[in-house]
Amino acid sequence: MPSDRLRSLPILGSRVGEIEEICAKYPDRRSAMLPVLWIAQNQEGWISEDTMKEVAEIIGVTAAEVYEVVSFYTMFHQHPVGRHHIALCKTLSCAITGAHEVSAYIREKYGFDSGKNISRDGKFSIEEVECIGACTEAPAMLVGETLHGDLTPARIDEVLGSLDKIT
Amino acid sequence: MPVDTFEKVYLPNIERGETETLQQYRAQGGYEAVRMALDMAPGKIVEIVKDSGLRGRGGAGFPAGMKWSFLPKGVYPRYLTVNADESEPGTCKDRPLMEQRPHALLDGIICTCLAIESELAFIYIRGEYYNSADVLQKAVDEAYEAGLLGADVLGSGRRVDVVVHRGAGAYICGEETALLTSLEGYRGYPKLKPPFPAVSGLYGKPTIINNVETIFSVPLILTKGADWFKSFTHERSTGLRLYSVSGHVKKPGVYELPMTVTLRELIYDYCGGMRNDHDLKFVIPGGSSVPWLLPDQLDTVMSMEGVQEAGSFLGSAAVMVMDHTVCPVWAIENLAAFYRHESCGQCTPCREGSSWMHKILMRIEHGQGTMEDLDTLASIAGEGKPNTGMISGRSICALGDAAAWPVGSALRCFRSEFEEHIKLGHCPYKNKRFWMADGKFVNESFEHRPSWHH
Ligand SMILES: Cc1cc2nc3c(=O)[nH]c(=O)nc-3n(C[C@H](O)[C@H](O)[C@H](O)COP(=O)(O)O)c2cc1C
Ligand code: SF4
Ligand code: FES
Repeated sequence: MPSDRLRSLPILGSRVGEIEEICAKYPDRRSAMLPVLWIAQNQEGWISEDTMKEVAEIIGVTAAEVYEVVSFYTMFHQHPVGRHHIALCKTLSCAITGAHEVSAYIREKYGFDSGKNISRDGKFSIEEVECIGACTEAPAMLVGETLHGDLTPARIDEVLGSLDKIT
Repeated sequence: MPVDTFEKVYLPNIERGETETLQQYRAQGGYEAVRMALDMAPGKIVEIVKDSGLRGRGGAGFPAGMKWSFLPKGVYPRYLTVNADESEPGTCKDRPLMEQRPHALLDGIICTCLAIESELAFIYIRGEYYNSADVLQKAVDEAYEAGLLGADVLGSGRRVDVVVHRGAGAYICGEETALLTSLEGYRGYPKLKPPFPAVSGLYGKPTIINNVETIFSVPLILTKGADWFKSFTHERSTGLRLYSVSGHVKKPGVYELPMTVTLRELIYDYCGGMRNDHDLKFVIPGGSSVPWLLPDQLDTVMSMEGVQEAGSFLGSAAVMVMDHTVCPVWAIENLAAFYRHESCGQCTPCREGSSWMHKILMRIEHGQGTMEDLDTLASIAGEGKPNTGMISGRSICALGDAAAWPVGSALRCFRSEFEEHIKLGHCPYKNKRFWMADGKFVNESFEHRPSWHH
């Protein structure tokens, strides 16, 4: 049963009901580690040390153990990212169909200073990642949770340009 | 596109890209397999699957029925884990299965749980597949409502629960023991085998791990019969297979075919040939981890045995096709970067070896390599086959081999091009820019066209 203590956690306290439902699906509470980290990242955009401490308390492990997990998985952000996070595939099938050019194009057109992975206005962040399982639609990228394949400059502008306007 | 005389049963409407609803699936006999399985003794289901010759579609090709029969007698609970991590570069066939036919996969999961006497199944799905996870979760919820899942599957008194569990970005979590440690809430570190998961897996309990496509095949085998499955046979490779074909072909995509298809037919008939009618340079026939094939091997039969005879592996049946504009040194440097990044770091040969290989390959590609580098590279990587070099066969899991084999094979296939890089002091290919910011060519004299021109 979730204690009042868990409910009073400043970041994840309001999610405790949902979290307990998830924990109940597993024979061992520790298995809820990744699901709970996902809840935290979806809510906060990234996973801070304070978040890790709360997750530790929820799962019943030390903060160091949570950090160990967070630092292993590349999709967990240990620093804030842009409002729209772009994960662009750079692995072979995408590389031979223009991934490097996609990267250069986005970085130049959407306000990234050289060497920076977050745009000047904080709207976009970009990360060149390994294969995202869209090789038959290469080059491909994820923007937030949505996959976009067969990228061309026009297609990129269509996707990012529309986001550019909304927020 | 050749006219196929067989019925496509995995992804019959892949072009439409729609999600099949519970009603649609049921209207064409979906979940009948569960009814059949409920009327059979578990051992009988295992026998049928064994008889079909179904071998794992995740990479290693281990016979599924045989794996199931390794479960120790009388030890419960047992778990089923569906490997939906699909992160071997080149592979993207489990995603359409999950997104287009989620109920057919659940059908397979329930049948498999009944066969192995498991009451709880996990679908471990890679974190990047947000949409697949949503579609699956929705299907799972529907299946509970319809009484297909839960404490009383179709009124039989048998329990099957399914949990969709998302990973968070780590290739290594596709390796079965790493997948289980990850599912237990830890870093995804592989473990030494034995013990095999069938004996001691998730939470130390007997656990069966199978790929999405493997599990998906089970209801097809139950309803259509083992003989139907065996009607597609090349040597010991039975059934239809989903080939993910990517790279420089006119029509990349996922193709459902019998394993009697040749590499030539796959590229030139099904995929419409090479983009811009370029020349074929090399092919990676089974996901990035396997040794490369050359154009004189186009008659290779794309079965597990056929590809092995050609000196490689069918692996996950992900066929990556490169045309003559691709520099093999640059290509292998790209893959070496992948393995260096994805090595979990537990074993010295894999951790250090993958990093050395990548550093050496970067040097060579950037024109700073030496002939000694080639010898060092060859001594680490080996000959592009098992148990050669300093990594293969000397590490906890097969990622070590996967890092080494392609490098060894690239060296064997294209040694003269490596030497050319070293002698010239730069990469002789000027073709690594595919388009400019405005979508035009960097230089019209470039001999290749933008890759999206089908
Ligand atoms: C480094 C590595 C990565 C793997 N990745 C996957 C994967 O993404 N999906 C998969 O099904 N199998 C993967 N495998 C194979 C699994 O370990 C395991 O053999 C497979 O899931 C068993 O299912 P199957 O017999 O149905 O193929 C990987 C193996 C290794 C060594
Ligand atoms: S072989 Fe590589 S990936 Fe596998 S356990 Fe060892 S270090 Fe980790
Ligand atoms: S190589 Fe880019 S999605 Fe697979």
